[in-house]
Amino acid sequence: MHDLLQAVQLVAAPDVLIAILASAIYGLVVGSLPGLSATMATALLVPVTFWLSPIAAIATIITASAMAIFSGDIPGCLLRIPGTPASAAYTDEAYAMTRKGQAEMALGAGLWFSAIGGIVGTLSLVLMAPLLAEMALSFSTYEYFWLALLGLMCATLVARSSPIKAIAAMLLGLLIACIGMENPAGTPRFTFGLTDLLGGIEPIPALVGVFAVSEVMRAMLTPEPPPLPKRKFGSILANQWMLTKKYQWPMWRGNIIGIIIGVLPGAGADMAAWVSYAMSKKFSKTPELFGTGHPEGLVEAGASNNASLASGWVPSLLFGIPGDTITAIAIGVLYMKGLNPGPTLFTERASSMYALYLIFILANIIMIPLGIIMIRLASTVLRAPRAAVMPVILVLCAVGAFATGNNLFSVLLVGIFGCLGFVMERNGYPVAALVLGIVMGNMVEQNFITSLIKSDGDVLPFFERPVSGVLAALTFGALLWPLGVWVWNRVQGRAARAA
Amino acid sequence: MHLSDRVTGAVLVALGGAAALAGSRLPAVPGQDVGPAAFPMLIGCGLMLCGALIALGIGRSFEVPEEADAAPPGPLRLGGLRALIPPALLLFYMLASEPLGFLATTGIMVLVAAIALGARPVLAFPLAVVMPPLIHLAFYKLLRVPLPAGVLPAPW
Repeated sequence: MHDLLQAVQLVAAPDVLIAILASAIYGLVVGSLPGLSATMATALLVPVTFWLSPIAAIATIITASAMAIFSGDIPGCLLRIPGTPASAAYTDEAYAMTRKGQAEMALGAGLWFSAIGGIVGTLSLVLMAPLLAEMALSFSTYEYFWLALLGLMCATLVARSSPIKAIAAMLLGLLIACIGMENPAGTPRFTFGLTDLLGGIEPIPALVGVFAVSEVMRAMLTPEPPPLPKRKFGSILANQWMLTKKYQWPMWRGNIIGIIIGVLPGAGADMAAWVSYAMSKKFSKTPELFGTGHPEGLVEAGASNNASLASGWVPSLLFGIPGDTITAIAIGVLYMKGLNPGPTLFTERASSMYALYLIFILANIIMIPLGIIMIRLASTVLRAPRAAVMPVILVLCAVGAFATGNNLFSVLLVGIFGCLGFVMERNGYPVAALVLGIVMGNMVEQNFITSLIKSDGDVLPFFERPVSGVLAALTFGALLWPLGVWVWNRVQGRAARAA
Repeated sequence: MHLSDRVTGAVLVALGGAAALAGSRLPAVPGQDVGPAAFPMLIGCGLMLCGALIALGIGRSFEVPEEADAAPPGPLRLGGLRALIPPALLLFYMLASEPLGFLATTGIMVLVAAIALGARPVLAFPLAVVMPPLIHLAFYKLLRVPLPAGVLPAPW
C-alpha cells in the first residue's frame, strides 16, 4: 500500500504529467502521418528522455507508443493508408466502412477498443509480472539463452514474409551486434581498425536509420498520398457501447490474443493485429461480411494491438528481452535511468513499477478525449504536405543520433542503416528481425558462451533443467513452425485437387 | 532497388563466409575452449545456409506478393537514385556541421530534401529558414545537446 501511494506521488509530479500530455499529442500526430510508425516516434523520443526524470522518461515512451498505435488507424480509415504497420491488418475493412458512410463508427471503434485493449493489457501486466518474477529469480544462463533465442525466433515468425529471409535478417542483426569489444573475451571484432567501432553499434542509430531514414528514402520515390477531403464528423463514441455489447466475445478474444502475443518476446502489435483479424474472420458467424465494412474484425484487432503493447513490457521488465521493437527502445532507456530490467525490479523498485502501471492506465484513459480531438483535427493534420514533414524528420534523425553520444559517427551510422533498411524492405527482408538481432546480440552471446564454459563445452546441460528444456522445445517449435505450415498446405492442396 | 533473390542470397552467402572466416582467425582465450570466435563463426555458417536457401527460392511461398508500387518515374530522370538523397544529406551533415554550424547545415538539408520531394520554393525556402532555429532551440536550450555554432551562431 505504501508503495502504491508513493507511486501515485511519483506520477502526480508536474513534470511527469506534462511529459504524458506532451508525448500524447506527439504520439497522436506522428502515428497519424502515413509512413511514420510508432517505433519511429519512440526512437526519436530517446534523446529527449535523457533530460527527464526516470518516471517521466518511461511515461513519454508508454504514452507516445500507445497513442501512435491508435492514431495509425486514422489515415487507414480515411485514406486507406495505414499510419503504422500495426493498423495494416484492418485498413481495408475500416476504409470500406468509411465508403459506406460509417467513418465515425470505424474511427470510434479504433479509439474505444484501443483504449479497452490497452487497459486490459495493463491489467495482465500487473497480474502476470510479479508471478513470473518469482519464477525468473531461479533462472540461470541456460534459461536466459533460450529465452533470448525464443524471442528472436518469434520475431522471425512475423506474418507476411519468408521465414528464411526473416532468419537471415535476424542473423545479420546478430552479426552487427558482434562488432566492437563488448564480447565475453573483450577482443575487438570486425572493427576494421576504426576506433569508432570499438564500442560497438548502438541500437538507437540503427533503429532510427532502419525505421525513419529508410521511410524518408521511400518517400523520395513514391507519389504523395492524396489530400484528405474536408469532412465533418458526427458523434464518435455514439455506437461504441452497442458494438461492445454485440461483439463482446470477439473483443475479449482480441484482448487475450494480444496479451499472449505481446508476452512472447519478439512479437509485437503488428503480429497481434494480423493474427486477431484472421482469427476474427475464422470464428465469425458472418465471415462473408469481412472486407465489406464489417466492424467485427476491427473490434477484435483494434483491441489486440493495444493489448499487446502493454503485455510486451512483461519480458522487457523481467528479463530485459524486448517484447517488440518499441520495448527494445524502452529497455535502453530503462538501463540509462538506473531501472535495470530483472526480477528484482519488482521487489526493490516496487513503487516505480506501480507508477509504470498507473501511467499505462492514465495514458489509455486520456487517449479517449485526446483521440476524439485528434480525429476531428485529422483532416487538418493530414493536410501537412509530406515535402515539409519528411525534411524535418531527416534533420531530427541527424540531431537525435548525434545527441545519443555527442558523436558525429552515429550520424553516418544512421545513414548507412537507412540504406540497409531500405534495401532490405524492398527485397522482403523484415527489418524488425534485424533490429531485435542487434538489440539482443550481446545478451544471446553472453549467455551462450557463459553456458558453454559452465558446461565445459557440453550441449546436454542446455536441455536438462526443466524450464530450459521447455524453452528449448518452444524455440525449436518456432523454428520448425513454417515447415509444418508448408507441409500442411501441400497436403491440403493435394486433398483439394483429389476431391 | 529490387534485387532478385539469387543476388541477395549470394550476398548473404558471401557475407556469412567472410564473417565465419574472419571469426575463425580471432585469437582464442588461453585455457578456454570457447572464445570470441565461436559466436561469429556460428552466425556466419547460419547466414551461409540461409543465403543458399534464399538463392534457391525456398520459402518463397510465404511471401505476400508485393503490392505493385509502380511509382511513376519522377520528373527528374534520376529514378531510383533519388532515394540516395537522404543518406547523402546525412553524410553532408557529418562533414559540414562542424565548419558550417548547425543552422546553415540543416537549412541546406531541409531545402534540398524539400525540393527533392517536390515542394515548391514558396514552401521550401521558408521551411529551411524557420525549422532549423526551432530544432536548435529545442535541442540546444532544452535538451542541452552541444550543437556546433560554426559560421552562423544562434542568438541564444
